[in-house]
Amino acid sequence: MRQWLVACSLLLLIGVPTASLSQRSESATPASPPAVSASLVTFGHREDPPPALSSLQARYKALSKQLSRLKPQEPYILVDTARNHLYLKRRDDILVDALASTGSGTILPKPGETSDQWVFDTPRGAFFVQSKLLNPAWVKPDWAFIEEGLEVPRNQADRIEQGVLGAYALGFGKGYFIHGTLYTRLLGKNVTHGCIRLNDDDLKSIYRVARIGTPIIIF
Amino acid sequence: MDLNDSVSLQEVTRVLQEEVKLAARPHNYLLIDLATHTIHIKGRGLDLYRIPIVAWSFRMPTAVHGTYRLIARPPIARRTVDPTVSVEQAPLSLADMPTTYTLSFIPALTIEVRPSDEEDLFRRMWAGAKTWWRSLNEWASSLSRGESSSSDPSPYLLLELSREQAQSLAWSAVDGMPLVIRLATDKK
Repeated sequence: MRQWLVACSLLLLIGVPTASLSQRSESATPASPPAVSASLVTFGHREDPPPALSSLQARYKALSKQLSRLKPQEPYILVDTARNHLYLKRRDDILVDALASTGSGTILPKPGETSDQWVFDTPRGAFFVQSKLLNPAWVKPDWAFIEEGLEVPRNQADRIEQGVLGAYALGFGKGYFIHGTLYTRLLGKNVTHGCIRLNDDDLKSIYRVARIGTPIIIF
Repeated sequence: MDLNDSVSLQEVTRVLQEEVKLAARPHNYLLIDLATHTIHIKGRGLDLYRIPIVAWSFRMPTAVHGTYRLIARPPIARRTVDPTVSVEQAPLSLADMPTTYTLSFIPALTIEVRPSDEEDLFRRMWAGAKTWWRSLNEWASSLSRGESSSSDPSPYLLLELSREQAQSLAWSAVDGMPLVIRLATDKK
């Protein structure tokens, strides 16, 4: 057992290669041919005759076309939550590059519930503009009161706050909006409850181009 | 890509086939392209963000699956808002993301991410030891199950990224996120 352990330690120190593929991008000479053939053997097509090159080329072109058709053909909104940027793009062209604020990632426990909580993340994935609002009013949800240590009002009218979301808002479902902010000094930071904040000028540019159905892709 | 290289074309076509399925759905997905040393964060078929891979090694005892799904990612220390405290809680940021972590997928696949500028010899040795320990455990458990020593351990991909890009990947990887791997087949 001891000899075996010593042997293992030695292997660890000298780094004996396993049956694996590896590459380093700076390396002048990429992986050697034997490694390549290893990948093909394990790929699982060894027993099948390779498809004819022409049929492969045709398949490749058809699939590329299919994938290309799934990409937004009209302008779309792209949101980078890690770097807090919102882009309006048409294909690969950037039409607007805006500093944004996205979800803070903080959590707020729901009162009276031991396990349930609000998580203030901006959702990731593909969405689309579902509503366009002019001079939107904020209907404050429960968490907005609880977070400030206030009681949740029973009267709906007490939830409404004017002038905090800017001149426009674009809804993309489940209460999430792209809207303006009074706190422009916080643009570029993850500070929101999940909505996406922009400054007035950028918001106006986005609002003008976006239509109901404009894709919003968030990562 | 060389359209006359049938081996590479076959692999790219396999990946495209998966992408067409994933791009039709509202979820973002990852494409790890070992041929071009790039991780693509994608959505609707669009390249949302690219992460260069400094180095990789892939132990791939079984055939590569079409699409993997992320089931475990590094834990994130989220701050809890305390309404009784007037001090604002610091939000989560990219800088809070780890640079060394493991991502687990189904079907079985483990991806280990390490910073490429890890110069601390002890840390490198420790990471190497962990890799070997994993292999040893898999081998030992296959023996205890009475399987032959040649039975396949699960695939394991080691990625070396810059610290910032390792954090970007940790940020973008969300539970259930699909992953497709394009193998390096070029014969350069």
